Amino acid sequence: MEAILKRAAQRVHESEDEKLLIEQAQGGDREAFEQLVRRHDRDILRLAFHMLGNREEAREVFQETFLKAFRSLGRFRFESSFYTWIYRIATNVSLDHLRKRQTLREEISYESDVESHPDRPALKDTLAATTYYSNPERRLYGKEVGEKIQEALKTLSEKERLVFELRHYQGLRLKMIGEIMGSTEETAKNYLFRATQKLRAYLTSV
Amino acid sequence: MNCREYQHQITLLLYEELTDRERTGLDTHIHECADCQDVYEAEKGMHVVLAADAAARLDLPSDLLVESRRALSDELDRIETKRSWWRMPVLSGILTPMRLLESGALIAMGLALGVYVSTHTPQGGGAQPAAAALQESAIANSAIPRDATISNLRVVNTDPSTGQVELAGEVSRSLRFQGKMEDQMVRSLLFNGLRDTNNPGSRLQIVKALAQNQKPNDETIEEALINALLYDDNLGVRLSALEALKQYAGEEHVRKAFMAALSTDTSAGVRMGAIEALATKNANDTELAKSIREVTEKDDNSAVRAAGLQFVGSGK
Repeated sequence: MEAILKRAAQRVHESEDEKLLIEQAQGGDREAFEQLVRRHDRDILRLAFHMLGNREEAREVFQETFLKAFRSLGRFRFESSFYTWIYRIATNVSLDHLRKRQTLREEISYESDVESHPDRPALKDTLAATTYYSNPERRLYGKEVGEKIQEALKTLSEKERLVFELRHYQGLRLKMIGEIMGSTEETAKNYLFRATQKLRAYLTSV
Repeated sequence: MNCREYQHQITLLLYEELTDRERTGLDTHIHECADCQDVYEAEKGMHVVLAADAAARLDLPSDLLVESRRALSDELDRIETKRSWWRMPVLSGILTPMRLLESGALIAMGLALGVYVSTHTPQGGGAQPAAAALQESAIANSAIPRDATISNLRVVNTDPSTGQVELAGEVSRSLRFQGKMEDQMVRSLLFNGLRDTNNPGSRLQIVKALAQNQKPNDETIEEALINALLYDDNLGVRLSALEALKQYAGEEHVRKAFMAALSTDTSAGVRMGAIEALATKNANDTELAKSIREVTEKDDNSAVRAAGLQFVGSGK
């Protein structure tokens, strides 16, 4: 109980401290903005990396998220926590990237047309070279199970994928996920339910 | 409520997203309905597999965060520079000389610091001419090792009248170290890593390394693992520490740590793990069984309450 109380007190202190940082950053203090970034950037990058599955896009999402935050911080009115606000930006940017990727996939075939675009690598090779499990460190971890889960995640819709990512991998509560999505906890619950049903169906079929 | 609605709740139960009332209703239904019991077992099995995947995917490629931070910082610099140039014509009469001074000071500092970093010997040999030219504030940077990387360097303050410039930035240095787990230096680095609140992935790796190299009666490692179990914010890290400590659950201080985790941890998984570990090594300890019963009978998670009762039963 003591540990819980200690953590709760620490969180209150952190939240007051964060409010001050936001106000300083809104006043143009770059140092304060960078401190805010440092508090959340690892979580945001992890979210982007898991959602997009490759480091180039993860880095783009990371940059776009914090630049958007930098430009619009003056309009932040403390109606939600900074954490929720920055996650909302990051999830929207991630979804935009996923949509762009979908469009790209529709526009060009999976196999690159080597004759007409000799300089363009086959998309499948690009994907293979950049997906999460191509990192040698990852190979050590239960590759087969991990790969199956990655495949299963691809069967989810954008929103299901997002809710599952935020709840399962990022550990956010469904109430907050609802807020991030600009929706309700009930909606988030439904997406989580559908996501786990699809994952179970896929994983038990392979 | 029908079975489909209850099955919807099973997912939420596993993510600890149900209210007490909903949980009680679901518990009762699962005990009475074989179909929902099957769904619950299947969901629970998948949840364990997915949780293991989540724990393994905690960390990011080590250089990705550094790269991303650097790229963001460069972009912010670019935006700020653009803004400052945009503002220049408005008060150019006043600002231009100041900005020239500021730029001049920056260039001079950059050159001096570059020469200093490339020529300075850590042993504190003779003062280098370039270093001697630095102002007192810059000399304070003598802690900068030769192979360090300076990033995010910016001017915090300039005083054209004295030529004083205040700089801020980050110095980082890559580290690669080999040694035996018994070495104090290795331990010190690992224990320091456990305090890095920004990186749960590295904390998880450290806990695993400590667990693999743990020997009986190694109290320092045990203490580090107990700290991770009781105070780490990350569930994956706490679960790994719990796993590593299980074999020592018969020792008094480890037993106390498990009891503390059972009383305070917010995760039902950790509380369940603590009961299992205590049950394995202390099956005949009636005093302990009594304490566990007292703690678990108030637990809001039905599985923990059931595990507590089972332990008490096995101890009789």
